[in-house]
Amino acid sequence: MSDLGRISREPLVHFLLLGVALFAVYGYVHRGRGGVESSRQIALTLDDLRQLDMYFQSQWQRPPTAGEFNSLIEDKIQEEVLYREGLAMGLDKDDTIVRRRMAQKVRFLAEDVAAAREPTTAELKAWYYSGKTSERFALPGRITFRHVYFSPDTRGPRAHDDAADALVKVAGEPEDSRAAPLQADRFMFQGYYADRSSEQLAKDFGPRFAQAILKVKPGSWQGPIESGYGWHLVYVESIIPGRIPAFEEAESDVKTAWLANQKAQAWHKAYQDMRARYTVLLPGPPDEKTVRASAPTPRKEVPTSSGEGPL
Amino acid sequence: MPDNRNLHRNIFFRDCAQVPAMPYSALDSAHPEDLWNWMDTQRKAGHELLAISHNANLSDGWMYPIDVDSFGRPIDAAWAASRDRNERLVEIKQIKGQSETHPLLSPNDEFANYEIGNYLLGLDPESGRVDRISGSYARQALKDGITMQDTRGYNPYKLGMAGGSDSHNTGSPYRQDNFYGGHAAADGTAQTRMSGALLGNTIDVRLLNPGGLTGVWAEENTRASIWDAMYRKETFGVSGPHIKVRFFGGWGYDGKVLTQANWIRAAYSGGVPMGADLPPVKGKAPTFAVWAVKDPTSGNLDRIQIIKGWTKHGQSFEKIYDVAWAGHRQADKWTGEVPPIESTVNLETATYTNTVGAVELKTVWTDPDFDPSLHAFYYARVLEIPTPRWTTIQAHQLGIAPPDVVPPTVQERAWSSPIWYVPAAAEARKVASQGLTVAALTQKGGTTLDDAQLKKLLVGKALWMRNSVTGELFKVSYTSDGQTVVWNVGRRATLPSATGNVAQDAYLGVTTPYTIEKGKVVTTLSQTPYADTFYKLGDTYYVARSNEFGYANYEVLPKGPAAVHPLEEGEARGKSQSEGKRAQK
Repeated sequence: MSDLGRISREPLVHFLLLGVALFAVYGYVHRGRGGVESSRQIALTLDDLRQLDMYFQSQWQRPPTAGEFNSLIEDKIQEEVLYREGLAMGLDKDDTIVRRRMAQKVRFLAEDVAAAREPTTAELKAWYYSGKTSERFALPGRITFRHVYFSPDTRGPRAHDDAADALVKVAGEPEDSRAAPLQADRFMFQGYYADRSSEQLAKDFGPRFAQAILKVKPGSWQGPIESGYGWHLVYVESIIPGRIPAFEEAESDVKTAWLANQKAQAWHKAYQDMRARYTVLLPGPPDEKTVRASAPTPRKEVPTSSGEGPL
Repeated sequence: MPDNRNLHRNIFFRDCAQVPAMPYSALDSAHPEDLWNWMDTQRKAGHELLAISHNANLSDGWMYPIDVDSFGRPIDAAWAASRDRNERLVEIKQIKGQSETHPLLSPNDEFANYEIGNYLLGLDPESGRVDRISGSYARQALKDGITMQDTRGYNPYKLGMAGGSDSHNTGSPYRQDNFYGGHAAADGTAQTRMSGALLGNTIDVRLLNPGGLTGVWAEENTRASIWDAMYRKETFGVSGPHIKVRFFGGWGYDGKVLTQANWIRAAYSGGVPMGADLPPVKGKAPTFAVWAVKDPTSGNLDRIQIIKGWTKHGQSFEKIYDVAWAGHRQADKWTGEVPPIESTVNLETATYTNTVGAVELKTVWTDPDFDPSLHAFYYARVLEIPTPRWTTIQAHQLGIAPPDVVPPTVQERAWSSPIWYVPAAAEARKVASQGLTVAALTQKGGTTLDDAQLKKLLVGKALWMRNSVTGELFKVSYTSDGQTVVWNVGRRATLPSATGNVAQDAYLGVTTPYTIEKGKVVTTLSQTPYADTFYKLGDTYYVARSNEFGYANYEVLPKGPAAVHPLEEGEARGKSQSEGKRAQK
């Protein structure tokens, strides 16, 4: 009996017994849910049916006919049947798409929990003026100018020299000089551009023009400057340098950025917590000799066929 | 994407506040007809929307059917109206190629051989299937559309032009000199791309190219205004660079309209913009004002072309006119074709210069071949000078040879939406009475030939025929072991749809298989079968082709001509050639 007494005091035995008890309780509690019998039962609730009906109505702006409703139910059942069959066959295991979707859902949950708070104006303002945050909201410089155009289509390689000659004639003329356009060709778009950022000008005239015109001294005819279309003489009316706006000007953008920032931070923290619960094992550094001897020739990574999707 | 056929559509809503609770997806239905029904429902509910067909070139011939819809039901007026109401634009170019046309469908278009995509998406790499050409391209659809209008009274294919990226990344490459792929890691590095990695295990990524863009002429930069312009098809597609093109049609533009300071206002008041029908006839021939400007960060312009399609007696035709071009090139005296522009591309350094080409091209053009009784459409195509293709640039960066599976250079381009000419009912009746329909032929007592009669007439023989619509004479050989070839058709002949490159095949002596089955002689254009039915009336044989909408347009001649190109008096006397006028063409 002393043996039995010793065994009864053994922690391992305690654990085993506890395990059996837990298993029995779990089996009892989950009876009719995880058992074979219940997996053959598909119960649709009234809410499920209502959802089907709502889905149909949102697509077709009318209630489904009896026939349509029956086929909606059949589709729903089919999905459920296939889903369960798939689970039973273990198709959710080692499936990249399922894994990614699960990971994505967990991430969404973590982000949502964090970002569900409205900031106060004071909070936003403090954040805006902290560190270099406000620089992210910098407004680009703006330039207003008039120009005349010398086209290589009609002048060929003379376009530059013609523009330079014309500059001599219009130098000292006012912005609305009648002489300037007389010397030049008709431009395809505008003669006057107001409050343009260099980004817009790079799109409209090419990046080199956009950079060159910023260096022009306002208040007189200058040039020639080359664009993607040919040569130009320009009269820069004004250049407003870029600036950092006051908080009040940028408040709604600041709020959007603050929320995104909160979300990112929350996600980062949540992930750090999750990550800390895991131990990761990586292979040690490979022995060079064995690598040389046994490593297969590196092969191009070939993308796998998705077999669907909007390729 | 039923059976790997790309039938995707892009849907654009007019108002962000007027959208359904849920989108309609391919999980709801893979049939475009169901999508249009859903769209009609949305429109009724105040959710105004339009669709753009996506990657027609990869639809395996399913994007533009002429006989049956995706359920196999005959196409009818209701189908056409539903499509026309909902599907306003075609994505003419994107990362996986262009959907304008194909050299097999447009053998006389020297610029048709451009960014062809001919694969089926998601196809099992071990499958032997190949993407079909017929039914996958917009120009053929535009031609079939006006032919359906003429012969059946409805046109499902009044399409405007759009461009798309189809990038699967957040950003999209639009430039040859900045092509970073469109499918995440699958084509994400120069090494992957230039190694010809197989996207989805099937597509050599070197065949991909930068994405296209849609240009819209709208009154203002608001969603509603831009959407409205898209719906009325005042749009154009570009292959990537921001080329701008305007295209107007009317009856009275003169050369001065483009020199006016506010020429756009004058062009609107004197006609219609791209995407519309020409106003009622007011003159001998329509005039078109066309204008294009280069992208300031891309190549100069080579030329503007106007592509015309027209239909007669169930046949449809196309012709390309060079209307404005850079430099001092002379258009060919006989054909009007402008020779290619000099290429400045240095293949070793993968660079080009803008020392040739134009910044701006514009002209007013009058259709020299206008027939007021025939349905027609016109659209402008703008070409840039040759520039290095991205594959050439990245080969240079890697220090390897430019790949030999794609051309080393490209001519970037823009496509305007078409302008249609719809003849008034009286004009249309004038021509309708003239053609020979199968119905009329049968009514007169014409009978079809059965397989045995066909074999006796054709096999091992050659027949001379006349296309009664164009007057073209040609000979067809049918070898005793099932091969056929068409002779004596010139490279510039006006060819009906889907005849393939007959001039080249005849010159090279390349044959096509034919079979005789169920009273028809069947040949294929690539994979698509076309059937000829032979009729006998009295001593004469007539032939009806399956894609000519119920007309028997070919007559078998008892005997061929002594010479294929009999000289006319002026030509025979050795006068200067310009004085000799040919009766045909």
